[in-house]
Amino acid sequence: MKKKLLAFGLVGVCLMSLLTGCGSENENGKVYYLNFKPEQDAQWQELAEIYTEETGIPVTVMTAASGQYETTLKSEMAKTDAPTLFQVNGPVGLEGWKDYCYDLSGSDIAGQLSSTEFALMDGEKMAGISYVIETYGLIYNKSLLAQAGYSAEDINSFADLKAVAEDITARSDELGFSAFTSAGMDGSSDWRFKTHLANLPIYYEYKADGIGTTDAIKGTYLDNYRAIWDLYINNATCEPTMLSTKTGDDAVAEFVTGKAVFYQNGTWAYADISSLGDENIGMLPIYIGVEGEENQGLCTGTENYWCVNGKASEKDIQATLDFMNWCVTSEVGVNAMCGTTGAMPSGADGMGFVIPFKSNLESSNVLVNQANEYVANGYTSVSWNFPTMPSEEWKNGVGSALTTYAADQTDENWNAVVTAFVDGWASEAAK
Amino acid sequence: MKMKRTLSWVGTIVFTILGLIYIAPIIIVLINSFKNKVYINLEPFKLPSAETWTGLSNYASAINQYGFLDAVGWTVFITVGSVLVILLCTSMCAWYITRVKSTFSSAMYALCAVSMVVPFQMVMFTLSLVADRLRLNTPWGIIIIYLGFGAGLAVFMFCGFVKSIPLEIEEAAMIDGCTPLRTFFTIVGPIMKPTYISVGILETMWIWNDFLLPYLVLDINKYKTISIVVQYMKGSYGRVDMGAIMAALIMAVIPVIIFYLSCQKHIIKGVAAGAVKG
Amino acid sequence: MEKAIKKYMPIFVFPTLAAFIIGFILPFILGIWLSFCEFTTVTDAKFVGFSNYIKAFQDPDFLHSFWFTALFAIVSLVVINVFAFLLALALTQKMRGTNIFRTIFFMPNLIGGIVLGYIWQLIINGVLAKYNTALALNEWYGFWGLIILVSWQQIGYMMIIYIAGLQAIPGDIIEAAQIDGANPIQRLFKVTLPMMMPSITICVFLSITNGFKLFDQNLSLTAGEPSKLSELMALNIYNTFYGRVGWEGVGQAKAVIFFIIVVGIGMWQLKATRAKEVQQ
Repeated sequence: MKKKLLAFGLVGVCLMSLLTGCGSENENGKVYYLNFKPEQDAQWQELAEIYTEETGIPVTVMTAASGQYETTLKSEMAKTDAPTLFQVNGPVGLEGWKDYCYDLSGSDIAGQLSSTEFALMDGEKMAGISYVIETYGLIYNKSLLAQAGYSAEDINSFADLKAVAEDITARSDELGFSAFTSAGMDGSSDWRFKTHLANLPIYYEYKADGIGTTDAIKGTYLDNYRAIWDLYINNATCEPTMLSTKTGDDAVAEFVTGKAVFYQNGTWAYADISSLGDENIGMLPIYIGVEGEENQGLCTGTENYWCVNGKASEKDIQATLDFMNWCVTSEVGVNAMCGTTGAMPSGADGMGFVIPFKSNLESSNVLVNQANEYVANGYTSVSWNFPTMPSEEWKNGVGSALTTYAADQTDENWNAVVTAFVDGWASEAAK
Repeated sequence: MKMKRTLSWVGTIVFTILGLIYIAPIIIVLINSFKNKVYINLEPFKLPSAETWTGLSNYASAINQYGFLDAVGWTVFITVGSVLVILLCTSMCAWYITRVKSTFSSAMYALCAVSMVVPFQMVMFTLSLVADRLRLNTPWGIIIIYLGFGAGLAVFMFCGFVKSIPLEIEEAAMIDGCTPLRTFFTIVGPIMKPTYISVGILETMWIWNDFLLPYLVLDINKYKTISIVVQYMKGSYGRVDMGAIMAALIMAVIPVIIFYLSCQKHIIKGVAAGAVKG
Repeated sequence: MEKAIKKYMPIFVFPTLAAFIIGFILPFILGIWLSFCEFTTVTDAKFVGFSNYIKAFQDPDFLHSFWFTALFAIVSLVVINVFAFLLALALTQKMRGTNIFRTIFFMPNLIGGIVLGYIWQLIINGVLAKYNTALALNEWYGFWGLIILVSWQQIGYMMIIYIAGLQAIPGDIIEAAQIDGANPIQRLFKVTLPMMMPSITICVFLSITNGFKLFDQNLSLTAGEPSKLSELMALNIYNTFYGRVGWEGVGQAKAVIFFIIVVGIGMWQLKATRAKEVQQ
């Protein structure tokens, strides 16, 4: 009997030791990139293939489902073959993963950065490196806007935007299109509002208070948030009650088929809408009715930082660093990241990024150029403050409340949005 | 007598209507799978018109863009493999622990009974961890996981049946010089055929449709099952292609219906028997 | 004979035992241990005592999901069993086409939870759209949606069990009751129902455990919308574990609590079945 116990004990010990053991080693290391941006999945897959062909180093790219990055990252990081390259969205995202971040200071890729402000620091340690700078705003269809009798010059404030949108709504039967695409609150598209649109009231509050992050948001500009949300949902292609089932695809479809003039999204959406023709696409700042907004520009920033898994084997870390460096220095890599139509070796569209590296190319993405124009003309860009949002949980809370409010626009339901925004922030930040 | 016959006809008609309502959801999905994706959410109950009709293009995109056929292949492989392994291993184990009385046997039996009720969430993370460390994150490896996690019910049902087999037959065989292995495969196995079918059906229904276990255990970069692909289509790549989803739903249902219609008798018997034993 | 078999233990038992250890015992023990730890991916686990359990009980979403699940399990239990029993009664009468009807009613049972969820999401949202609303807007739409979904799925299954039970009732007992002058209603309540108690117990517990463990359908039909209000326990645990940084231990603790609840129901079932057996 004792022998048996011993035998079982041994088996148990063996299994336990396996749990902490390491995975198999590839001779030259390998790269596993857990990509955050679903829009660019195809391009990364192609780059990975090319890199493997050139160097023999296996590169796996996996893209997490929209809104599921944290979930996927967690389940993947627990695996033996954990991602060697992953992303965090900024300081808040870094908090959960900083023990896993390899110190990038002194690496080749760090040397390629055009400015050190694009590095994400954890004290002295360079935990992450931003790899794309993006801009979002209110994308509009120039010819439709002209058909309605307006031009972009007419819109310089929230009041202008409201007047134009409501006029289009009033004449929508006659014009045959609406002001806004559906503000889909399905999981594939709700980030446009619970994260990107919510950035504006946060930006103005931070600006007014002279801070860059907080544990207790006051919600000073939430009335403006309500005003712009009301405008979006009541002047759209569909009834506000239908929004919860509307997807990102629906909005794109409406925009490219000329069913709506305005579509809130960013530079990354260029490939989806380029069929309208470059001359027809423009981007306006998202005005929410704050004093001094005539000088407001587009929202520019990053929430995409590359981090290297410091718990991977040395070979894998080296392979990963080499791969990152290749992406931002080789001709193929840079073309894929910066180029647009036909920039991939296979002839597919490139990612159309602006990258914060020395190799950055002049863009052929109209939306990017529009963003540059605003900067050149002296408008103040709105910074991206959503990386300071306390958690995914908080975003989901705001998103759900927005959906409920859209279906039934009462003060009570709006108060629920405020509660999710303000109280939710405090309770999530405390955790 | 005449009244009874009319009553029976009324029943048939009522049930025909009920039956039609019952299969309506699948028909609605089938109809929508031929519509352009933009129109599916807008008017799910309308028949396709010239404007909305897209023919088989949704099926093509489900197959080409989302790798649906691979998923069907892996699902078939995992299901068939796991069920065969479960049937073989657990029936042998059940015979042993019923025939050999020891503390080990009763402990094993009790553990199996407990494992039947354990919700998967209890072990979801640790099981995927163990599977990963032991490199069982492939369609081959997951068979072992299914054997382990599904053993409870199977051992339990086989034990129930073995208890009802009279000992004399086996004893006679062993006296004639049969080894336990031969006794098991030539005598016990054939007697247990109905139980094999019942257990096989129940395990097939579970594994074919399982979502969370393969999702967490498998290396989903390489292998996806049908349920995983359908879930991915809804969530991934920042967009939802309703058309491809409709097509995928139909393609997920078709093999099930074929399987069901071809061994309906066994399935119904298996379910009834499984319930009585469980 | 026992001795002879015993020698073959490695062949007969070892494969199952090894898989059982890998697939169940080890993860189970690890799971209990981790419920007392703080960790992100296990290699960094730190013992923290009961604080995960305290956090779990303080989480209002978890408590809500418990009551929501309990209510769901009870309602689905009643709906499924009543309809399944009535169908079984009807389909054991002399009528044309009973076999085809059984086939149809059973079929949805073979379709997976994820697939079922999306089928019904299309239909329920399609209907609700006519009233300008949607599943994600009110947790009670989600609740009744789930009830409809699981009824559609499980009525056929329970019906088969009831049919087997009904066919096992000896015909002479019914005949005897008929001769004694019992009307059909009396026959149902005084003869058929008592004879059916074993089947009913089985079905009741099957549907209550199914209700408690429901996950796939919940994930695909409502995904917890709005604001986690339609989250059943299993989904709440999954979301706590994988969806929130720093909450892994709490998720595991919730899973242990969930396990205890489900085992509690199982024990209750065992007792109930045993009591019935004694009576007979």
